[in-house]
This record gives sequence, structure tokens and C-alpha cells, in this order.
Amino acid sequence: MPKVVTREPMSVLERSFVPEIIRGLSTTIKHFFHAASGQNYHEKQHLWFLNKGNVTYNYPEDVRTYPKRYRGQHRLMLREDGNVRCVACMCCSTICPANCIHITAAESDDPSVEKYPASFVIDELRCIFCGFCVEACPCDAIRMDTGLHVQPFLDRNNAYYGRDLLMELGELSVAIQGGDKS
Amino acid sequence: MPKLTINGKTVTCDAGTPLIEAAKQVGEHIPYFCYHPSLTRPASCRMCLVEVEKAPKLMPACYTTVAEGMVVLTKSDKVIRARKAVLEFLLLNHPVDCPICDQAGECTLQNLYFEYSAQESRLKTRKVNKVKAFPIGPEVVYDGERCVLCTRCVRFCEQITKTNELTTTQRADMTEIRPFPGRELDNDYSQCTVDLCPVGALTSRNFRFKCRVWYLDTTESICTGCARGCSTYLEHFRGEVQRFRPRTNPEINSYWMCDHGRRLYREPHEDRLLNPFIKGVGAVPRNKGLAEAVKRLKAFRDAGRANKLAVVLSPQGSNEGLFSLIRFALKYGVERFYMNGKPDTAFTLRNEPDKVADDFLIVADKNPNTTGLRRLAEAFGITVLSAASLAADLESKKVDSAFILGANFPLDLDKKSKLWQKLEDADLVIFLGQRATPFTTLAHVSLPSCSFAEKQGSYINIDGIRQVAKAAFEPHGLSQPDWKWIERLSLRLQLGWEYENFEDLEAAANAKLAAPPAKELEEDKNAPAQT
Ligand code: SF4
Ligand code: SF4
Ligand code: SF4
Ligand code: SF4
Ligand code: FES
Repeated sequence: MPKVVTREPMSVLERSFVPEIIRGLSTTIKHFFHAASGQNYHEKQHLWFLNKGNVTYNYPEDVRTYPKRYRGQHRLMLREDGNVRCVACMCCSTICPANCIHITAAESDDPSVEKYPASFVIDELRCIFCGFCVEACPCDAIRMDTGLHVQPFLDRNNAYYGRDLLMELGELSVAIQGGDKS
Repeated sequence: MPKLTINGKTVTCDAGTPLIEAAKQVGEHIPYFCYHPSLTRPASCRMCLVEVEKAPKLMPACYTTVAEGMVVLTKSDKVIRARKAVLEFLLLNHPVDCPICDQAGECTLQNLYFEYSAQESRLKTRKVNKVKAFPIGPEVVYDGERCVLCTRCVRFCEQITKTNELTTTQRADMTEIRPFPGRELDNDYSQCTVDLCPVGALTSRNFRFKCRVWYLDTTESICTGCARGCSTYLEHFRGEVQRFRPRTNPEINSYWMCDHGRRLYREPHEDRLLNPFIKGVGAVPRNKGLAEAVKRLKAFRDAGRANKLAVVLSPQGSNEGLFSLIRFALKYGVERFYMNGKPDTAFTLRNEPDKVADDFLIVADKNPNTTGLRRLAEAFGITVLSAASLAADLESKKVDSAFILGANFPLDLDKKSKLWQKLEDADLVIFLGQRATPFTTLAHVSLPSCSFAEKQGSYINIDGIRQVAKAAFEPHGLSQPDWKWIERLSLRLQLGWEYENFEDLEAAANAKLAAPPAKELEEDKNAPAQT
């Protein structure tokens, strides 16, 4: 059953567009003065009629502070010996709605580690930064807490972040490796 | 025949039928680990306990046989409680490393946990640690912690292969499966234990860590390793075969297939010929390759030499491909037919390298469709000569050119290189095949055909049973099924092609073979390998 939308007919004043044009232009003019003040958003205002500074950011000199749980660029966490924490279970690549995690698992030389990712590639151009991969990971191996946003790419090939690049920002996890055995 | 009721449903079956099978007949599934229809029943896992009226205790449904007037309950509270308890015991020391376990996704323990138990572990002490990644055999890796000690693998080696490699060692929660001292799990069917293992305790070296099972697409196929033609599931991911799994077929392979057949999972992707090749030109698009072949064949026929063309048939090909080629060749005017194929020594038994066949599944002929080829030849009234006589006939100028299907020749290196030399001098060599071999540079035109995994085709095994292998994924590169190349050649050479689609061709080939249509097997393809 299609939904019937009832439209309110426009009044004479609305149909003349004059008050709306004035309203729109006043916003534009206000922003003009904001911008002309040359001040940044957070700075104290000098001009009395401006209650805040520039409405836009002078990016990249002026960077907005991201919230704590901002989902930024991925990183792969490390084991105590500095190797990758990921066990190549593919839970993240399975859940990934953008299908952008590509893992090749391999047998590890370390007898205490069974499986490790021989290659781990995230296509950051395809990623929609949903954070599902982090949720799915059973061993806190992948995180998006770097606070960095992914830079734009001039070459698509640079958007494939490999395992070692992802590990550069990696740290030790607070989770106990191998679980609590006491 | 005893008559009994299971969950209120009446069922009549032969005396001696275990309750598990009787319940299957009325659609009641009883969970189990250690039971397998083709093995003896130790009744050791206790997962299949059911309530039988008047029996003082719960009874194992795998071992208890039907009796007149029995009243069986498989879903009562008591039974469910027992199942939860059994699962709790099995999981006490279980590592639950499902994320890195190859079995996850097709694991009986995992499935049953979700179905019945789903409770937190109450274990307060440390779990018992056992052996991890133990190389139990050349193809199989054992993980002691995951093992539920159902002894299916042990019984398989005792009762099916009769090689007796495995046993249980130690006692109680230290029990592990091990090969006897000085031995390893190295029979020709060792990977069947991986299928049999209800958990991830036995994993196959070929498949280990390669692909999570939930990514796999499953296609009904056959094994092309030998003329037995075991029914298989071909499991693939992104256009690549990842593994074969036996498909239960009581007439051919029962529940099993051999390791050599499984190892062929790389074959459809190895050394593929991906473009048509013209000698001296290189890779060309499809229409160019076809035009060149047509041009040369036409000139050859116009010179009145069609009877000098040798057509080499391949027992690796499907009935449909062979049918089209023979039909095409006869209309073209070919008189002499030959046959290539893999040699019997394509693989030999693992422990007896001089033997090419055993008394179970592996047969000497390593081609899947020799019977089909022979029957088609009979039906068309042609004589098919051996590959060895091709060299002789080229020598004596009975034939001076060749149209070759498939690159496998059952000849030793010496004879092969002689044949190559003869073909090098031949006036016209057209090659239609799947692999890039010396032919690619030798033949005037090479046309790429696709492997059995990329096309539908039927094959007749050594016992005359016709089976269909379905297309699993798109053809690699510019390859296409051999019958399609022949269709185009036939049309361009005005030899006629009266089949509108593959179904027509299949029907025509079948009529020629007078073969009954392939028997549909009643089995769910998503059913776990272990039955
Ligand atoms: S954030 Fe979402 S889209 Fe990006 S890799 Fe993780 S799961 Fe995939
Ligand atoms: S990052 Fe985590 S979820 Fe992804 S494969 Fe590695 S261990 Fe598994
Ligand atoms: S055997 Fe089954 S339950 Fe055990 S770790 Fe493997 S998938 Fe999980
Ligand atoms: S290895 Fe697998 S098949 Fe063998 S006893 Fe253990 S669980 Fe059963
Ligand atoms: S299946 Fe009956 S006891 Fe194991």
C-alpha cells in the first residue's frame, strides 16, 4: 500500500519568496563577517556582534579534536615478543560488510602459535569505518583507536595497508596472552 | 519386522537396525560422535543416549537395536539433560580454540554446543594440556586437545583400510590418539579420517589454514584421478578449488575417496592455457584463434587430405566433448582416431610404489572417462588406436597431421620426445586442451578448453556408471568447454550443428551412449562430511 503524502499548499508570502530570500542572505552575510574576523572557531571574539568565530576550520593547521572512541585508521596489536597478535581467524574479514580485509593464513614457526597472518591487507578506500572488525576480533588484535583518519590517496595502490604498516602503530594489549591460567 | 514408536511416530524396520537409523527414517535426528554407519559401534561417546520405556537407564541409540513394541523418546527432558551433561564433559578440557580451528563451521561439537549446551564452563582447575599440531601422518595433523576420543579414526584404519596404524594411548583425561611406534598414518586413504573426525582434531595438510569453511561454495562433482570416478563435492572459493570431499555414493565410493584424488585440487589451475595461441604469433583473442583454425582446416580439406588428419581423443574429456569431436571429425572426413590419456603410473600406492591399483577404490586406469570414450567409439563405429601407434602412423605417413584433445600422453619421455619431433614436422597440428604444454609452441593453433571444474559434463566410470560433474565456477581466461570450440568449428566449416544448447547436446550424447540418465543421489550438499 503506497503511502499518501499530503502537501501543505504554500501561502502567498511563501510563494513570493521575498522573506525567504532575506532570511537566506542574512545567514550568508553573517558568515561573511565571521570569516572576515579571521578568527578560529574556539578563539575569543573581538567583534561584539559575533558570538562565535569562523564557522569553518582552517584545516589542516587547525584540527578538530576527535572524540575518544573515534574509529580511525586500523592498527594491528603486538605480542610480547613483538610479533603480530592476530591469529588469522578471519572473523574480521568474515564480518566486514565492505569485504575489504584480505588475509592469508599460514602455519607459524613458533610452536606456541598455531596460525598467523602471512599477509593481512585492509583496503582503506573500501572500508566504511564501521568498527565491526574490532568487535569481532576474539583476541584484541585489531583496533581502530589510533585517532588518525585515513589520508586521501593519489594512487589507489597506496590504499592497501599491509600487515607491517598496520603493525607500525601496534602496541601490547592489556589482555593476557594465552588467557589467565591461574 | 519389529514395529516401534519413536517420539510417538510409528516405524517398522528390519531387526538389527540401530535406533539411530530407525529414528532417521521418521525424520528424528539423534546427535552422535562415535557412530558411523560403516564402522563398528563402540558406544563410547554417550551423545546418542535416548529414553526407552521400561529400560532403567538411558540407552545408546547407536548400539541399541530395534525391538517389537519399543517406545522411544529422543527429546524428553531426561535425554536433553543427559546431552548437556555429555557435552559438558567433552568440553571440560577442550581448548575451544574455534577461531583458529579448521573445523569451526562444520564441527559437530560446536553445533551441538549451540543446540544443547550453551553454558559457561564450571571448571575451576587448569585444563589438561595435550599435544598440539602433532604430525600423525604425511597428510594429516593431529591436535590432542580437540580430540573427543570417538575412535572413529582408529576404527577406520582397522576396518576400512585394514592397515591398523592408530590406537589410543594413556588413560582417562590423558588419552590421545597415536600411531603405533615406528608407524604413521600413511595409508592411501588417510585423509578420510579428517572427514570422519567430528571435531578439528585431525586436519588435512593440504587444506589446513587455507580457507574458512564458511567461505566455501560446494558443487557436486566427480574425482578425475582414476577410472573409479568417486563422487565428490568440489569446494571452491573465488574461482579456486580448495578441497574435495567424498560425496556418499553406495554404488561407487561409499563414504570414501583416496588421498591421490584429493591432491588433484590444484590440477584445474596448474599451467593453464588461457588464450588461444597461434604458432609464430603468440596469444590471440578467441575469434582470431578460431579463424586461424578454420582457415587451416578448410585449406587442408580443400586439398583433399582430410583422411590424413589424425584425431586424438582424450579419456579425460567428458562424454559431451568427445561426442562433439567424433561427430565433427567424421563429418570432416577423418578416418583414423587415437587415444591419449594419463599413464597408469600417474600415481602409485604410497607404500607400494610399484603398484598402480589396490583392491579398494584405486584402479589402474587413471582417466575418468575411458569407458565413455570406448562406448562412444563403438556407437560411432570407429576404431580407436593407442597413442603409441600415432607415432608409428606418422612415421609411415598413414597420417601426416593431427587434431589433439588434451595433453596427457601415456608414453615415456623418450617416446614422447620422438612423437613431439614428428608432430613438429607435421603439416597441421591443432591442439585443444586445458594446459600449456610443449604443444602450445608446437601446434599451429592451440585452443584453450576448460577443466572439468568449469564445465558441466558426464563421465562413465569403470563399472559403467554415468555421473555428472557440474560447473563450479567461470572458465579461466579465454578458455571454454571443448564442445563449444567444436560447435564453432563445425558451424564455420559448414559441418552442421543441430544442438541448440548444452541440454540438447547432452541428450544426443546420451542417446548415442544409450546410457541411463545419471542417478540423482539423495543427499543434502550442506550435510556435514561425517554421516
Ligand atoms: S571498519 Fe568495518 S568496513 Fe572497515 S575493515 Fe572493519 S569491518 Fe570492514
Ligand atoms: S585481526 Fe582478529 S579477527 Fe581479524 S583475523 Fe586477526 S585475530 Fe581474527
Ligand atoms: S573442534 Fe570444534 S569446538 Fe573444538 S575448537 Fe574446533 S571448532 Fe571449536
Ligand atoms: S582424532 Fe577425531 S576421529 Fe579420532 S578419536 Fe579424536 S575426535 Fe575421534
Ligand atoms: S554415538 Fe552412540 S555412544 Fe557414541
